[in-house]
Order: sequence, then C-alpha cells, then structure tokens
Amino acid sequence: MTQLTGHSASLDFSQPEPVDMSSGKYVKLWQGPQHPGITGNMSLELTLDGDEIIECKTHVGYLHRAFEKLMEGRNYIQNFTVVCRIAVPEPAFNEYLYAEGLEQLSGIEAPERAQWIRTLNLEMMRLASFMMWIGGQSGAFGLYTVPNWTIAYRDYVLDLFEEMTGGRIYHMYMVPGGVRFDLPKDFDKRVKEVMDGAEKLLDQVERVMYNNVVFKARSKGLGIITPEMVDPYGIVGPNARASGIKRDLRKDEPYLVYDQLDFDIISGTGADAYERAYLRLQETRQCISLIRQCMDRMPRSGPLQAEMPNVLHWKIPPGETYVKAECTRGEYGYFMVTDGTEYIRRVFVRGPSYTHAIAVMEKLAVGTNIADIAGLMVSLHTYPPEIER
Amino acid sequence: MNLKDLLSPFYVWQRAFEKPYTSMRPIEERPGSPSYRGFHINVADTCVGCGCCHTICQNDAIDMVPVEKYSGNKGDSGLRPRFDYGRCCWCALCVDMCTAGSLRLSNEYIWTSREPADFMFVAGVEEKHWQDNELGYRREKSYHLYPPRRIEMEMLSPDESIEGFDEVVKGYDVEQAKKEADRCIECGMCVATCPAHMDVPDYIKSIRDGDYDEGLRLMYRTNPFPATCGRICTRRCESVCPVGLQGDSIAIRWLKRHIVDQVDAKDYARILNDNIEENGKQVAVIGAGPGGLSAAYYLRKKGYEVSVYEAQDKAGGMLRYGVPGYRLPDSGLDKDINYIVSLGVEIRNNTRIGTDISFESLLNDYDAVFLSTGLSVPSSMRINGEDHPRVLSGLQVLADAASGRDPGIGNKVAVIGGGNVAMDASRVSRRLGADVTILYRRRISDMPADIEEIHEAQEEACTIVTQAIPVEIMDAPDEKQVIIKWGEAEMVQDPKGGRPRPVLQEDRMHEDTYDCIISAIGQGSNLDYLSKEVQEQLAIEWGRFTPGEYQHTSLEKVFVGGDVANRTADAISAIEDGHHAARGIDRFLRPEMYTELDQEIS
Amino acid sequence: MNTIDEILDYAIDQEQQAADFYTSLAGRAEKAGMKEVLLEFAEEEKRHKERLLAVKTGEHELTPEQEVLDLKISDYLVEVDESDDISYQDALIIAMKRERAAYELYSDMAEKVPESQLKEVLAGLAKEEAKHKLFFESEYDDRVLVDN
Repeated sequence: MTQLTGHSASLDFSQPEPVDMSSGKYVKLWQGPQHPGITGNMSLELTLDGDEIIECKTHVGYLHRAFEKLMEGRNYIQNFTVVCRIAVPEPAFNEYLYAEGLEQLSGIEAPERAQWIRTLNLEMMRLASFMMWIGGQSGAFGLYTVPNWTIAYRDYVLDLFEEMTGGRIYHMYMVPGGVRFDLPKDFDKRVKEVMDGAEKLLDQVERVMYNNVVFKARSKGLGIITPEMVDPYGIVGPNARASGIKRDLRKDEPYLVYDQLDFDIISGTGADAYERAYLRLQETRQCISLIRQCMDRMPRSGPLQAEMPNVLHWKIPPGETYVKAECTRGEYGYFMVTDGTEYIRRVFVRGPSYTHAIAVMEKLAVGTNIADIAGLMVSLHTYPPEIER
Repeated sequence: MNLKDLLSPFYVWQRAFEKPYTSMRPIEERPGSPSYRGFHINVADTCVGCGCCHTICQNDAIDMVPVEKYSGNKGDSGLRPRFDYGRCCWCALCVDMCTAGSLRLSNEYIWTSREPADFMFVAGVEEKHWQDNELGYRREKSYHLYPPRRIEMEMLSPDESIEGFDEVVKGYDVEQAKKEADRCIECGMCVATCPAHMDVPDYIKSIRDGDYDEGLRLMYRTNPFPATCGRICTRRCESVCPVGLQGDSIAIRWLKRHIVDQVDAKDYARILNDNIEENGKQVAVIGAGPGGLSAAYYLRKKGYEVSVYEAQDKAGGMLRYGVPGYRLPDSGLDKDINYIVSLGVEIRNNTRIGTDISFESLLNDYDAVFLSTGLSVPSSMRINGEDHPRVLSGLQVLADAASGRDPGIGNKVAVIGGGNVAMDASRVSRRLGADVTILYRRRISDMPADIEEIHEAQEEACTIVTQAIPVEIMDAPDEKQVIIKWGEAEMVQDPKGGRPRPVLQEDRMHEDTYDCIISAIGQGSNLDYLSKEVQEQLAIEWGRFTPGEYQHTSLEKVFVGGDVANRTADAISAIEDGHHAARGIDRFLRPEMYTELDQEIS
Repeated sequence: MNTIDEILDYAIDQEQQAADFYTSLAGRAEKAGMKEVLLEFAEEEKRHKERLLAVKTGEHELTPEQEVLDLKISDYLVEVDESDDISYQDALIIAMKRERAAYELYSDMAEKVPESQLKEVLAGLAKEEAKHKLFFESEYDDRVLVDN
C-alpha cells in the first residue's frame, strides 16, 4: 500500500524530465476516447513502464460544442434550454445557476415556493448523479452487479423527474424567474416510495460493495489527495472533503433554502479512492434526508414564477455576477456578463471537472497501475462536457 | 482482511428473488408521464398563426407555412407552424410562448417512419396518431413569458369627466409606455389588419428604445394623423392582437398617442424632414377631413400643389365636428393638421363646391380632383311624427357642441341608435347636463359603437335600453317636450344565418316623454354638388362611390376616397384611401415615374 | 277568381306588374346608383313570377304550413311618395310595403274561402309574399338600420 508521502513532490509544478521513447523501454497507450473505462468523451495518453504509469496527459476536444459562444447569440430565455446540456448527468445545476445569475443581474426574485422546489430538484439531481457514480466506481473495479442495481434505481429517480419536470434528463424546468409548473398530484407519495427503496438499496450496496474485499484492496491507498494539494490544485467537493477539508457551499454560503435544512458537512481523512467512495455513499444518504426535508417543509401553495418581462426582447442592464452552487463534485460556478442588450455578453462556466480531470488526474495517475486508471478516474468524479463548454 | 469482507459479495443473492426492474413490454407498459414533453399538438382552429413559436424556437425547428383553410380569415395570418423533428429539442418554449394557447405537447414519444420527410409536419393539420392524446405538457395558466395584462390607462373619473369637455384619457407617461411597449410580441398581425398598414411593431419598438423621433417618422410614412388616430382610431389592430387572446391586447392606440405626446410640434419639421421638390402640377381636394388631408399630405410630399376645399369654417371634417373634444381635443387634431398645412397645403375653408365654385370648374382648373366628402346627412327613421321640432339629429348636436353653440336639448333626452355617433351624442348630452336614455333595437353586443365608448357612456350614467324599437313620435302636452312610442323586441335567429334580428312585440309598447329625441341611426352621403351628368359617369352604389384599384373613377382625373367611398367609414380607412389616391394620382399624372417592374411589385 | 288556375294567373300577373313598376321607377330615378337598384328589384320580382309559373305547371309546390319570420319593420314606417326622387331607403320601404299588401290580400282571401284546395293555394301564396317581405326587410335591417 502506498504511504501518505510525497507532499512536497505533489506540489512540485516543475516540468518533469521528458520520457525517452526511443529507448524502447516505454509504451504509449491511449485510454479513450472510446473506452468503457473513461467517464465520457475524453482520453488519457498514458506512458507506461511495464504496467506502471509514468506519465499521463489528458486530452479533450471530442465534445466541444462551444456552449459559451452559442449562448452569446441566443436571447436569455432561449439559453435556458442550452445550459442543461453542459453536464449531461447533472443538468439541473446548470439550469439553476443560469436562472439564478439572470435573476441577480435583472433584479428578479424567484418566489419562495419556487426556491424550495429548486432545492428539491437539485437534491434529487444529486441523488441520481451519485447513484450513477456508485455504479461507475463499482464497475471500474470489476464489480458488475452493483451498477445494475444503482443505475436502475437512478432510473426511478429519473421517473420522478419526468413527472416533476416533463423530461427525464434535460428537465428544462428551472426557468429564469422560478420553476415552470407545480409538483404533480401525489408527488410526495411517490417520492417517499423511491426514497425508502433507495435507502434500502444503499444498505445493500454498502454491504456488497464497500465491504467487498476486492473493492477495499483496490481502492484503498489509490489516488491520495493530500490536504496540501487541495488549494493549489483548486480541488473541491467530495474530493476535498475526503482529505479533511470541510468545504461545502451549501453550508459556507447558503443559497436557495439550504439554511432552513438540517444537515452537516460530511468529511473524511483517508484521502484515497476508498475514502472518497465512502464519503459519497454517506452524502447519498444525506441527499435522501434533504429530499425528505424539502418535501415536508416546503410551503404547500404560493406562486411559482416571478413576474417576467416579455422574454422576446428582454434586455438586462450592464453588469456581471458570479453565481455558484455545490454540485455532486463541488463548487460549480457561472460567471456572467451582461451589456444592456438582449444577448448575454459572456458566460464562463467553471465546472469542477476542469481541474479534477486534467491537473489532478495527470498528477495522481503517475505511479499507479494501468489496471487502476479507470477506477482512479471515476473516483475523481469528472464529466468531460463541463471541461469543454 | 476479515471473513465478513470476504463473504460480502455473496449478499447479492438477497436481491435475486426481487421483481426485475426491466419492463418486458415498454411500449404498452411505459407511457410518458402526464406532463411529459412529447410530440406537438396544435389546435389549428384556435391557432392564429402569430408565429411566436417560430420566433422563440432556438433551434429553428419551427417554420410558419401557409395552410389554405385558414387564409383570409380576420386576425389570422393563414400560416400554421410546421415542426422539424430533426431539429426540435422538445424544450416546449413554443408552448410557453403560444399566444392563442393552442399549442401543447402530448406525452407520446414513439413514432417510426421509413420516410425522413415525414418528420417535418404541420401539427393539427396533418393527422398524427397522438392528436387525440389529452396528456402531456401544457403551459400553466398563471405562467407567462410576456406580461398578459395591459398597463392601466389613467382616466378622469366619470364624475369629473361629465363636468366638461376635458379629455378623458390622460395618456401614458414614459415609464408606463415603455412597460406597455414591452408586451408587444412583434407578430405583425396589426400591420396586416390596419387599413393603412401602419408599421406598428416598429413604432412600438421605438418607444422601448426611447427613440421618439424614429417613432414619429415611422408613423408618418403611412398616417399623417397620428395624434388623432392615437385617440380615436377604431383600432382594428387591437382586436386582432394575439396578446389579447389570453390577456389584454397591446394598447396600440395609446402607444401611438404617446409618441406624438413626446414630440413637440416645433420639432416635426426637423424630424420628418419632408423635402418637397415641386413638380408643377395641381390637384384639388374636396373635403378637409382625414381622407382629403391625407391625400393632400402625400400629394404635397410628391411635389404637387394642393388646394383643399372645405365647406365648414375649419378643417378636420367629422374629426372636428363629429368627434367630441373629450375624446379628441382640438389641440390634438390641430397638431396633425398644422403640420400638413406647414408643408404648403392650401385649405380654403367656407367654400362649398356646387354653390361657391362649380365642380366642373375644378375639373378644368386642376390636373386631378380628389373627392372625400364623407357622410354628412343623418338617416331618418321614417316613422310617424319624425318631423317633430323636438327631434334632433345626433350629428347636429355634435356639430353644435364642437362649435360652442347650444344645441338646446333640454334636461331629459332619448338618444336613438347604437353607433359611435349615438354614444358621442349621449355623452355630450350628459356634459350639457341632461339625463340620457339610449334606445337601441338590438343588444349591447350588437352595437357597432366601440366597446370602450359604450362602457364609458354607461359609467357616465347614460341608461341604455336595449331591444327597444321606436314606432311613433307624438306631441306632448307641453310643446317643449315630445313623446316617443316604442315597443320591446325579441331577438330572433335569422333563418338565413345572419345576425339575430329584432322582432317587435306589439303587446309590449311604451310611451315616454322627453325634452328632445336625438336620432343617431346612421348617416348617408350628400352628392348634390355633382351634376346629374357627373353622377351618372361615376359608379355609385347605395349612395357611395365604388372606386377602382387606385381610388380612381370612370371619370378621368377624378379620384375618390373616405367614408363616401368605402364601407368601413372610419378615420383610418379614409386616411389610407387618401394615401392610396395620392399614389394613384401620381401614377396617373406622372406615369413616366413608374417602371414596368414597379407596377408589378405594387 | 274561383279556380286555382285563375288565382295563380292573378298572382303571376301581380308579380309582372311589380316588375313593370320598378322598371318604370328606374326610368325616372335621378339619384346616383338608384337605377341599378330598382332594376335589380324588378329582376327579383321576375324571379318571384318564375316561381309561381313553376307552381302552375306543378314543378314547384307551395308551402302553406311553413313558418315565415315577420320582422314587422314595414308596419310602422311612413308611406313614401313614389313621385319624388327616391333614395335607396325609399325604394326598400316601397318594396316592403308592396309585399306586405300582397301578403295581407292573400291571407284575407284564404280566410274567407271554405276549407278546400283553393284555400291551401291562397295560404301558400300568402307565405310566398311573406318570404318576399322578409327578403326586403332583412335588406333594410342590414343596410339601413346599421347603427340602429
């Protein structure tokens, strides 16, 4: 097992010695972009010494749709249908941040009930995303039963989304000014059903996956993120919290109605892939609790949308804002600039995957075994489309 | 490594006997959720083809295509949205934006076809297997992507307004106007409906942009009476405004007025910058109403020397003598007329053709003559006793009030009729201190008067008695009074399918005494200024001219327009007639200016 | 006038007379456009005549039991002096009044004769005239009473 060593080395940003490929000692191997062990359309260029990785280079560009540029040519309301595509497994955070940013810039406030529904929506999103992640992490270490369970259960959550928003993946529900329509009839009953089932499933997942001797053996000690790395690398979310850094926007800078919900920041000290996995399992459980709290505490009635100007020629006065929210992978931010026209001047999307999948991954991969690279990558929980906005 | 960890994988057997997740027959067992965003449904009969779905669609997945069935209907573009499922992302912004509320999504999401072109279809026109699907996404009633309610117009209270002839409508301030202008969806239905085809969306945009100079320029392109029309236009545009389908239509009339209010009359010349190049030809216009002056304005702009002959002592026609000051104050009308006069249009007041100058001499002296003499003769009821001295005509009462004369109506009057003249005469009578009862043959919903006029008349405490048919007028014991005999009517469906017709109930007759009776049941033309020979050469039907494409007549050099030549009889139609006649006269007098291509385009 | 044929001949003659009447009015009309209107009325009367001729040959049947709407517009209007230069409103009033008179004539006759086929024919003719009256009254309602 790897020791918690090399703190100073991990903060060494100097260029490594170039690998002498002509020596014939090393092999270049591409993992991705078409590879089941990669989290989407990106690739890792690995240099191997035997089965040990001595160099890793992240390549992106397979998925570039120029979201940020696209948005500059569409009016404010049209963009609301574009942003959800920036992170396929977690579109809701994009919807929320875009709406919140516009609301701040134009001085609109979403009504209280809409804020509760948005919180509920975001936590359900977190649950769905974690369910998929658990499957991914398990599968990456060769345990193929758990993905069958959790991916299927994620679909139950997507069923809830379908009812709540009219769409399974791209909800397009959190419109600027509020949410599009009210919760369906008897929604609370079905939420309760799915939450109870999910809770039960998580217990079984913990037993089968987290206690599994193979899983433990392969994940413990893999990809250690030392607390010292967190700030220089800009590591956020569970990746940081598993290293003992208690950092969670929901608590630190509460948005929506998080200040009215009971929860604590979960953190760990193990700092390796296992610790991160375990922390995410606990956060998944916390999600279920938060969803239940939202269902219980939200006001039963009230308006869902603020009064909006005519969206066909909605102009927002010049200004800029940075809005952020805690997504499953940490701080997700939108920097938005308006110039008084009907179009946004600039949007900059800051997703956590940018650093996690490039700088952190390239660092942590060195010294690991080729067989563990997929597991390591999943344990950082990265989504390529948010690297390429 | 402990034994428990080693055994943990075997716990998977726990779930082996659970019901499988997988649905064996997903198509039957798994319909979309009740609010699922599936395939489009458009109730094509409700849709008006405003094109908002097309405008909002960020994927260009919606095209507006002509559908024959809907062409030519009032307030309908004749277009319907065609969806391209190669581009659609089912965001449903089109549904949220739909002004008519005709568009929604079904919860159907399975459709196969071998033919790629099938996936481009006109919803609601082409049959699709989901068209009767009742579920799926619809916009919530309370959710709007544009403010559905009109910015309220400040008005004098009914008590204040009947005190005098002050203008009732106060007009929007800049902020209110901006907000109201913001509601416009720029569909252009108003442009198509306006007789003058005013560029409404663009001048509304100029309000949003705060560019009133541009707004004024846009209005003068098609209408030299913006201050007037901004107050009294019959605003057919508003009746077709799609925003009104699920809310209040845009206050187009008040916005037009707002632009004029914001521009000082002395800035008109600088803004409109009407450079006139004289062309040496002369045109005579008979009648200084909206039709005549509109023709004069556009002719003058083309370089003609224009003389307008007017029988009354001031220009304006019905706008001055038929529309009371509380609706259109002289200051508003004069702002429009003064600008036209400032371009060098000569108005000869107190000059009646046929009496002071003969029509024939005009024909000799001018290169062309435009007739726009309006409808000035009140129709008579043709019932017994109608020639009673206490029976007055609505037009006369209005003209007296406009000229500051006392029409002598007394304290208790009955007004007969349901048109704008009847409402104006009633409200003028209220201002002169009389109690007013309006007798109308049909129902309020059948009244040709503007609905706002009717409401305001009611607010000013005019009593409206509907389904009341006058049958006789008799002497009252007091000779300053008069008795009207009227009977109640039942509305009976017309067997041929026209509007319901009132049928007198002879067992329910009433006799009421009034100080006077104001008859306002319509008016006709007076063409006595034309000799019989001239009349015979002009196509005349029911007392009105039937002009050709360019307002021309079968008599060379003679063009006609306004109420005396159209069936709509409102200011804006007259203005358009005048504008169009100006084009016609120019074509007639300077054909060399028009190429073949021009003629094809126009 | 005792046989059905005689009655029908009389009615046909009346329609022809009406047509001639409007034609002669048209000849004297001075107001612009009135000539055309009156000639159109004459045409309308000729159509009525055609119908009655068809009744006589059995191609067309009278409908004595049919309900015809009576708008009663003409009942309260003042008689028009036909020698004056008439307007469209005048022409319509003349037409309505003529049809009303014909209607009343046939109704009275139908009431006076005993139950028979003849009575049926008279009642049928009355209904025909009532329809003509409705035609002109509807026209009056639409064209003249626009604001009323």
